[in-house]
Amino acid sequence: MPLEASARIVSELTTRGYNAEREAVTKLAAAEDPHAALERVLENVPDDVLVVRADHVAAALPADGTGTAARSDAPADSESTPSTSTGTDATPGRESTESSPVETEGSSHVDRAADPDLRSLEIIGDMTGQSTGTGEYEDFVSVFRDRLDRLGSKLRGRVNHRPASAIEDMPGGSDVAMVGLVNDIRSTASGHWLIELEDATGTFPWLVMKDREYVDLVDELLCDEVLAMEGTLADDSGIAFVDSMYFPDVPRTYEPSTADRHVQAALISDVHVGSEEFMADAWDRFADWLHTDQARHVEYLLIGGDMVEGVGVYPDQDEELDIVDIYEQYEAFNEHLKKVPGDLEIVMIPGNHDAVRLAEPQPGFDEELREIMSAHDPRIVSNPSTVTIEGVSVLMYHGVSLDEVIAELPEEKASYDDPHKAMYQLLKKRHVAPQFGGHTRLAPEEEDYLVMEEVPDIFHTGHVHKLGFGKYHNVLAINSGCWQAQTDFQKSVNIDPDAGYAPIVDLDTLDVTVQKFS
Amino acid sequence: MRSEDERYFQRLELQLDEAFDVAERAKERGADPVPEVEIPVAQDMADRVENILGIDGVAERVRELEGEMSREEAALELAEDFAEGRVGDYETKAGKVEGAVRTAVALLTEGVVAAPIEGIDKVEILENDDGTEFVNVYYAGPIRSAGGTAQALSVLVADYTRALVGIEQYDAREEEIERYAEEVSLYDKETGLQYTPKDKETKFIAKHMPIMLDGEATGDEEVSGFRDLERVDTNSARGGMCLVLAEGIALKAPKIQRYTRNLDEVDWPWLQDLIDGTYYDDAADDEDETDEESADEEGDESADGDEDAADADGEDDAPDPDEPQGPPRVDESMKFLRDLIAGRPVFSHPCAEGGFRLRYGRARNHGFATAGVHPAAMHLVDDFLATGTQIKTERPGKAAGVVPVDSIEGPTIKLANGDVRRIDDPEDALEIRNGVEKILDLGEYLVNYGEFVENNHPLAPASYTYEWWVQDLEAAGADVQALEDDPRIDLEFPDPEMALELAAEHDAPLHPEYTYLWHDLSVDAFCDLAAAVADGRVEGTGSDGDDTLVLDYDDATADALETIVIEHRQRADEDRIEIDTWRPFVRTVGCEPRQAVADGAALDPDPDEQRREPTIELERTWADDGLSERARNWGHDEDGDNAIEAVTEVAPFEVRERAPTRIGNRMGRPEKSERRDLSPPVHTLFPIGEAGGAQRNVADAASHAETMSDTPGVVELQIGRQRCGACGTETFKNRCPDCGERTDPDYRCPDCDQSLEPDDAGRVECDRCEREGTCVETREIDVKDEFRSALESVGERENAFEILKGVKGLSSTNKIPEPIEKGVLRAKHDVSAFKDGTVRYDMTDLPVTSVRASELDVDVGQLQALGYEEDIHGEPLTHEDQLVELKVQDIVLSDGAAEHMMQTADFIDDLLEQYYGLASFYELDERDDLVGELVFGMAPHTSAATVGRVIGFTSAAVGYAHPYFHAAKRRNCDGDEDCVMLLLDGLLNFSKSFLPDKRGGKMDAPLVMSSRIDPSEIDDEAHNMDIVSQYPREFYEATREQADPGEVDVQIAEDTLGTDGEYTGFEHTHDTTDIAMGPDLSAYKTLGSMMEKMDAQLELSRKLEAVDETDVAERVIEYHFLPDLIGNLRAFSRQETRCLDCSEKFRRMPLTGECRECGGRVNLTVHKGSVNKYMQTAIQVADEYDCRKYTKQRLEVLERSLESIFENDKNKQSGIEDFM
Repeated sequence: MPLEASARIVSELTTRGYNAEREAVTKLAAAEDPHAALERVLENVPDDVLVVRADHVAAALPADGTGTAARSDAPADSESTPSTSTGTDATPGRESTESSPVETEGSSHVDRAADPDLRSLEIIGDMTGQSTGTGEYEDFVSVFRDRLDRLGSKLRGRVNHRPASAIEDMPGGSDVAMVGLVNDIRSTASGHWLIELEDATGTFPWLVMKDREYVDLVDELLCDEVLAMEGTLADDSGIAFVDSMYFPDVPRTYEPSTADRHVQAALISDVHVGSEEFMADAWDRFADWLHTDQARHVEYLLIGGDMVEGVGVYPDQDEELDIVDIYEQYEAFNEHLKKVPGDLEIVMIPGNHDAVRLAEPQPGFDEELREIMSAHDPRIVSNPSTVTIEGVSVLMYHGVSLDEVIAELPEEKASYDDPHKAMYQLLKKRHVAPQFGGHTRLAPEEEDYLVMEEVPDIFHTGHVHKLGFGKYHNVLAINSGCWQAQTDFQKSVNIDPDAGYAPIVDLDTLDVTVQKFS
Repeated sequence: MRSEDERYFQRLELQLDEAFDVAERAKERGADPVPEVEIPVAQDMADRVENILGIDGVAERVRELEGEMSREEAALELAEDFAEGRVGDYETKAGKVEGAVRTAVALLTEGVVAAPIEGIDKVEILENDDGTEFVNVYYAGPIRSAGGTAQALSVLVADYTRALVGIEQYDAREEEIERYAEEVSLYDKETGLQYTPKDKETKFIAKHMPIMLDGEATGDEEVSGFRDLERVDTNSARGGMCLVLAEGIALKAPKIQRYTRNLDEVDWPWLQDLIDGTYYDDAADDEDETDEESADEEGDESADGDEDAADADGEDDAPDPDEPQGPPRVDESMKFLRDLIAGRPVFSHPCAEGGFRLRYGRARNHGFATAGVHPAAMHLVDDFLATGTQIKTERPGKAAGVVPVDSIEGPTIKLANGDVRRIDDPEDALEIRNGVEKILDLGEYLVNYGEFVENNHPLAPASYTYEWWVQDLEAAGADVQALEDDPRIDLEFPDPEMALELAAEHDAPLHPEYTYLWHDLSVDAFCDLAAAVADGRVEGTGSDGDDTLVLDYDDATADALETIVIEHRQRADEDRIEIDTWRPFVRTVGCEPRQAVADGAALDPDPDEQRREPTIELERTWADDGLSERARNWGHDEDGDNAIEAVTEVAPFEVRERAPTRIGNRMGRPEKSERRDLSPPVHTLFPIGEAGGAQRNVADAASHAETMSDTPGVVELQIGRQRCGACGTETFKNRCPDCGERTDPDYRCPDCDQSLEPDDAGRVECDRCEREGTCVETREIDVKDEFRSALESVGERENAFEILKGVKGLSSTNKIPEPIEKGVLRAKHDVSAFKDGTVRYDMTDLPVTSVRASELDVDVGQLQALGYEEDIHGEPLTHEDQLVELKVQDIVLSDGAAEHMMQTADFIDDLLEQYYGLASFYELDERDDLVGELVFGMAPHTSAATVGRVIGFTSAAVGYAHPYFHAAKRRNCDGDEDCVMLLLDGLLNFSKSFLPDKRGGKMDAPLVMSSRIDPSEIDDEAHNMDIVSQYPREFYEATREQADPGEVDVQIAEDTLGTDGEYTGFEHTHDTTDIAMGPDLSAYKTLGSMMEKMDAQLELSRKLEAVDETDVAERVIEYHFLPDLIGNLRAFSRQETRCLDCSEKFRRMPLTGECRECGGRVNLTVHKGSVNKYMQTAIQVADEYDCRKYTKQRLEVLERSLESIFENDKNKQSGIEDFM
């Protein structure tokens, strides 16, 4: 029995308005003729039932399954059932709210997953509907000031800092320190580095000598990140020589929270439905796998953006789209989402291919798109947002700034092959997209939503279509792969994406296992 | 050279000498930076090369070599001379290589373009890892103007010289090789390359390149990998290097190979691999180029989808080569529609019916990248086309300048009243323009044979036109000469009876005048039309033959008649369609008119009828099923869509395809005829800093005081220090204010302040400090005093002009200011100076080879005075309407240019009298006096001016001149523009000392002038122009085979090179009444806002049969609005900010909120308003023109993005409109 069967059964059920328990689906899939079995089950379920449970299946099907064997023509029939992966036969809406009974009912899936009451899911930093910026100059100023205030507060205790304007007036040779945004990084004619720090009073230049131990850190610096510098003022007080540098960073001793029970989350991103390269088969295998016993502890599904391929993301994109209509893309995505078990908790943020603004922070999808993506009632929040599941906080960020980090930093510190290393840099800077004016786009809001105010337990990104994970000061950084095979563009620049992988995190241990579906 | 040509040039040179004398005398007296004329005269290319390079001895050597070998070989020969020190005075090896490379580039570009001086920055010697030396050539952006071959050869010459002087080859490091690859693709993405080598190809070249290619950073974008390399100064793309590598070496490898083979010293065996593409194998292990990223796809995925699609439906229905199932047709090409801009309309989609019909021929104002369009068509496309407007075209080239030609067929339009008329008179076009409902056909489009040669484009099937028909007639045995001589016969426009008689009598094809566009009609429609005609009746059969064919009104019939483009009247409410000229038409559809005395009188007794009129009945001679299989299935796109074979079967004579080739095009740039003003305009190159305000008003600066305690008019400026050799006075002027002697720059070392003297090469260096010396200093200048004394010295008062504008600062090396006196007189005559001190006027270039006195607004006497004695037929010139062949350096000024030249002449006269104290020179009273005066023609990116002589004036906003004159400036006429200067203005006011000390500063400056044009030393594109009065019949027949243009024998200019006839004999096939017809200015220039232009563009697209208005709207949105919206939105979210008070820029908003420099107000550089200015319009257009859902959704997504960024979620904007 091919794995897609479960997915087909689920989608068949959903199109008819039913949700199903995993076990019920497994049983149906195990039947010799799942299609006929399904028909029989549905004939027999009581009218008021919305969720097909295992006992319904057991009641409708003879235990040995021979009851269906009589209809020999049925398998062919089931093969010809239109695949829902085309997304065009959608009957959206009907099943949208039915997933809640599963959770409240609870009693019947004792052997699949734990009591839904044990679950908890809390969102922090969702700015959807909170976008107050109107694109004025003042909005930009306040967002950067907010960044300095909040990240600076993590540094001010560590150094005896002075404002930039005050440093100028200090006598030459004094020991000084300053907390500020990196305003400029230049190399001098003699190979030293000049770093201009800026705070709310002005800027001050700091010189990192090329033979100092800190010089390697200069490679890691990005403009507009917040850091502290300590050093000695030159004789004319016009410049200071750096002795040490401090980053907001994650404390080395950081101890992440874990869940109280054995429960897992699947962290995926970059589905790209609508693209000619979307891997529907891999997705179906993934959805099927979620229905298996092996995946019984996976109760959360986090999707890090790029649900669909989008429209107009690059020139002449329409020529490479399988689904040209943006709404149909989301409808198709929803159909694919339906195939995963209905009792998963799903959280989604948008990415740069999605139909929301490109500038970050990106608010979660608008009402129209939420309406379309209603399968299993996902939580749709802004990019970035922090979701705390059973005590474990997961910072979800799509990851556009990774391109910039990888471009600006030396290869050993950040590369496409090890995307998690680039994420370490962001953790160290405690900001998901520090540099302004380059690759990453910024929409000014009253506060800097891109700051990592609290240290997350897990940092989840996507965007670069490469799989990579590792721990930085005990924080688990995961960049999930994608569900889009290599595009012509990627081929032309020799990028080999990690497509069809799902990293699964044990929330009680923060261990990662990777499931491959391609 | 013929003696009359020699006389012509001598005359020009004599005139030039006179002006030169005046200028030399003036310069000696004035206070110019140099006391002599600074534009040397070059008689030939060798002179130009030497003058541009400034290396003595080159000219002589070039002349020696010229006769013996090709220019490329000469360049290599000169490299030897440089290496061995025979030419040039270089001590270092680097210097020798540099000299050789520059000379090679100069030689290959005929010493006209700026590439040899601006495109090669320097040559230096660096060390390989093994300690050996190698050569590094530093290229800069302007190397572009040299072209691929010269670029590639410069590398070869560098290598050759390197080998000769004994330097090792460059051994590229691995990371440098990778860097080349990344950089070339970055440059391609940012700026675009004609040819982009694959990464592997680039790496292959980089690996084997025996010298290092280096250069200046030209862009802002930086490479992401392979940064901070030891031997590469920049992390940005080095534009010059990328060009040389990609468009030079990679693209021109076969050409270089030709020369490497003959050289023992250099060995480039890898070229063969490069040409064969076999480098892939040994580069196979060069994997891993993971430096780009997936999500950053916004750049370059522009698949060539549309061409592929176009190619696909090409010839798929012609499987059997022996028996073609369809007519010969060219393939559609969509390229010209790319990057369509709002406000610049499409005139015809590719190969679309109703579009311009290709006719071959060269009009006298035509050739050299131009397109002949009927002036009536120019008016009917709502004046968007004017003389000189550039169009982007489907074939044969990419772009062309539009010229008016009224000897071709005009457009056919349908009026609101149902009349379908062909408009051959521009006056008629203007009259009926408001009633035009549909433009059914744009008329003919004249392209000369030479265009196909130049673009190496296979000949496209020719329209059946008079030129062809008359040769067919002759071939059929008719005595064409006799017919032409018969005063009763107009052979080009015969009456219908005559046309039918000629066809019948000589068994020749039907005359084109009565050949309709049957090939656009389907066979089915043709059968239906024939049936409708057979049912028709002829009315008004009277004695005078003034009869009309009347058909019953039927939409299908009307459509068919519109498709074949025959003049008729549709009267739907009267159920009638009337065709006046019906006989050839009726015969063509296979109907026979039969004269009959109507004996229906008994049935229809009419008492008023005085006598019975003979009536005509139309009898159809064939039946639908009588058509052959072949005729029924004849078609191009699909079977049976072309009725020409059916027509041939049913008509009693041969009928040819009237217009098998349609040419799509759209508007490119508008034409130009404008004075060249800097912005803001400058009257004098005298610095006044910020004191003159934004207007740079010298008078304001003269009274400006920063604070109450400052002396008004004293301004602190950066200026060159001069010292009087005689009395030692320090000044900034070129003449000592104390003793009146000339002064010299006073160079000092910036470190030790020691006085320095320039060495022979003009370099100033302090031996002790090893620093470059300079004479520039910051000092206080009393602008008030300077201004006052300048006014006084030329005897003018301040009210002589409205405003005198100076410059903020000087950008030249030595910062030598111009005497304010010159500015005073410029301001008085309302002319302004370019950066080099000259007064210029820009015009779009157009060619003309023969002219009439009448159209130039001159009289015969004036032409005779200029040496024009005969007309083109050799008859004595007596009449204003006679055509004379234009001499190569004579030019026609636009009215605006003439006006401006008059002002300049007045300025020069005043300058001579009031400043230099000499007699005036021009003394022009009226425009006519300008005729015969000399000017300079000068194109951007070049450094050589060409002397021209004014012969007349035109109301078109263009500069007409001989194609050779344009080619001498290295321009063609596809919308290029360049400038003219008055001769004496250039001689008196140009100075190299004013030129900016930066890359490109020497471009567009007359470093040298050519006094006479040598046809072999001009851009060889002009040599491809055909110069005959008739194309042979074989040519037309070859077009049906889509033959290579080289296979056809038509004389082109190249054939006369080096002969006595090289300056003359430029014949044309088509005349035109006037070289200025149609609108004087394109509507693009007369319409106001972008929105108005776009509305007009879309409105026109609805009217044109050949244009799909939805596609136009899509493209405007796709190529103009969306990029604008997306780009601005992107720019908004990563923008710089700027101080409103001191203009200081900040990469990011300062945390202080205010300017860190001056404490002033800082604001955004990209505002909401500039981001969303096109949003609503785009949505509206998408809606109104029924664009694709994809396009609409992109707009929707963008609109929401804009809302999300610019609107407060909690306080949704309720604007005034909500309350209205």
